[in-house]
Amino acid sequence: MDRSATKPAVGGLADKLALVLLATGTVLTTVAFILTFTVASPVIGAKVSGVELIGDQMIGNQLLLSQKIFYFHMPVAIASMVALGGTAFFGIRFLMTRDAVYDMKAKLCTEVSLVFILATMATGEMWTRFEWGVWWTWDPRLTTYFILMLMVFGYFVLRAAVEEPERRATYASIFGIIAFVDVPISFMITRLIPSSIHPVVFRTDSGMSPDMLVPLMCSLFGFLMIAFGLYRFRVRTEALALRVEAVKDQIDE
Amino acid sequence: MAVTSHKPSTFAQYKTLLLKDLQREFRTRDMLSSMAIYALLVLVVYGAALSQTGRQFDILQMSGGLLWALIVFTSLLGLNRSFGYEKEDGCLEGILLVPLDRSVVFLAKATSNLVFLLLVEIVVLPLFYFFFLTTTAPAPTWPMMLLPLFVGTVGIAGIGTLLSTITVNTRGKDVLLAVLFIPLVFPLLYACVSATTVVVAGGDIEGIFMNSVLLAAAYDLIMVLLSWVLYDFAVSA
Amino acid sequence: MNSVLQEIYATILPSAPFVIAAYALVWLVLFVYVVYSMTRFKKVESQVGLLEQSLSGMEKTGDATASVLK
Repeated sequence: MDRSATKPAVGGLADKLALVLLATGTVLTTVAFILTFTVASPVIGAKVSGVELIGDQMIGNQLLLSQKIFYFHMPVAIASMVALGGTAFFGIRFLMTRDAVYDMKAKLCTEVSLVFILATMATGEMWTRFEWGVWWTWDPRLTTYFILMLMVFGYFVLRAAVEEPERRATYASIFGIIAFVDVPISFMITRLIPSSIHPVVFRTDSGMSPDMLVPLMCSLFGFLMIAFGLYRFRVRTEALALRVEAVKDQIDE
Repeated sequence: MAVTSHKPSTFAQYKTLLLKDLQREFRTRDMLSSMAIYALLVLVVYGAALSQTGRQFDILQMSGGLLWALIVFTSLLGLNRSFGYEKEDGCLEGILLVPLDRSVVFLAKATSNLVFLLLVEIVVLPLFYFFFLTTTAPAPTWPMMLLPLFVGTVGIAGIGTLLSTITVNTRGKDVLLAVLFIPLVFPLLYACVSATTVVVAGGDIEGIFMNSVLLAAAYDLIMVLLSWVLYDFAVSA
Repeated sequence: MNSVLQEIYATILPSAPFVIAAYALVWLVLFVYVVYSMTRFKKVESQVGLLEQSLSGMEKTGDATASVLK
């Protein structure tokens, strides 16, 4: 066991907040889900051969339901990237302080990130299959995000391959920091390479009306809150496990 | 009689470490010969893989990708071995006992890896041409491929040096190096393949070539700087 | 329903399974992670139970030695 490990503060403000945030996040994502299918105006696709009055609007294009995937796809992707930012941050903190708590936190951040990466991949697959008609294409955005997933896998493979706790923590921190370089690349790639078929969403002229923006933001903040809540729950569990280990050692003595 | 001693300059330390690597390699030629033979074998595998393609098959469009796949796999082999030597006979412990800046160790190791990779590439390029490109005529701009080749190799050597230092202390180090290395060099690989293909097969030199080389160089810079900063932690862990 | 309306709504029904599957998969992934977290928590809980047991066992032996000493 690492001597210098401080006990993570448990039950403080962060944990009280985590419970509230988890509840709020659940409510927000549910609200987003309902708004997505009721309020958000459908996106229009190809032109049709005539015009028809639906509600109080003249519609001359196909209405697309598949775009509704986007209201959950982008928020979970952002949440996975934020969680990886946590991995890099705690990696740097670990290298500065050599405190095993930060290594544990970095590991749990990566774990949460993996969950959201899998959710992003699943929703993205559904969209790709229906809209582009293929299961996979080597589009720059898809590719950079895919290698992000491979790096997260690599992170856990690396952890499993080192026995000594201190050395494992150092190596994992280093890899977590360099793997984070891919996050801004994946985020920016649709702007850097215009030939990408993946739509660019975050920009000032995205043309999103408020009725689309509200469910999107509900979903985004909802998922970020859920991610934080899950992360704190894992931190509490692992902290408890550390305390149990410490008491066991004391009894053995 | 007073004994005078002076601390050697950083450059002298760098030169000593680099010369040590080069001298050992040129004495035994262990790594270089195995890398060259491995590259030749990959070319033979390519020959089998492409043997059923038609006569109209556009090898020029594929040559950039095939060449870079060859370079990545060959460098994986070399990187795996380059740090294995340091582990033998406690060489690394000896180096770490000397009061020198750890980043000098990184620079020396990365440079020696770069030199070996470039030497292998000098052997591999004519072979690649001989086996696959003699039936076609590469675009007249082909000598420009040396630029992405150099930029890409610098990145591979920089990232690879850090990662091979990490994986040499782990279980199943050969596989682990590939698992960590390939996703990390992927953006570099992507940019270098597009730059190489453009100059070999002909195309938009101004736009695609310059953009790709700039992207690769920027990625190089970030990765080599990060590896340089983080190397101290990796090598002393 | 006229032909124009049919064209307007043409992609809605074919895409519905994919939209539903996407939402279901997000839910499923999160659910699996929550279950995983719960099992981890249960493991730690059972460890605490073991600690309590060994602690009460120690107290008993402690009493026994105390009574012997008397």
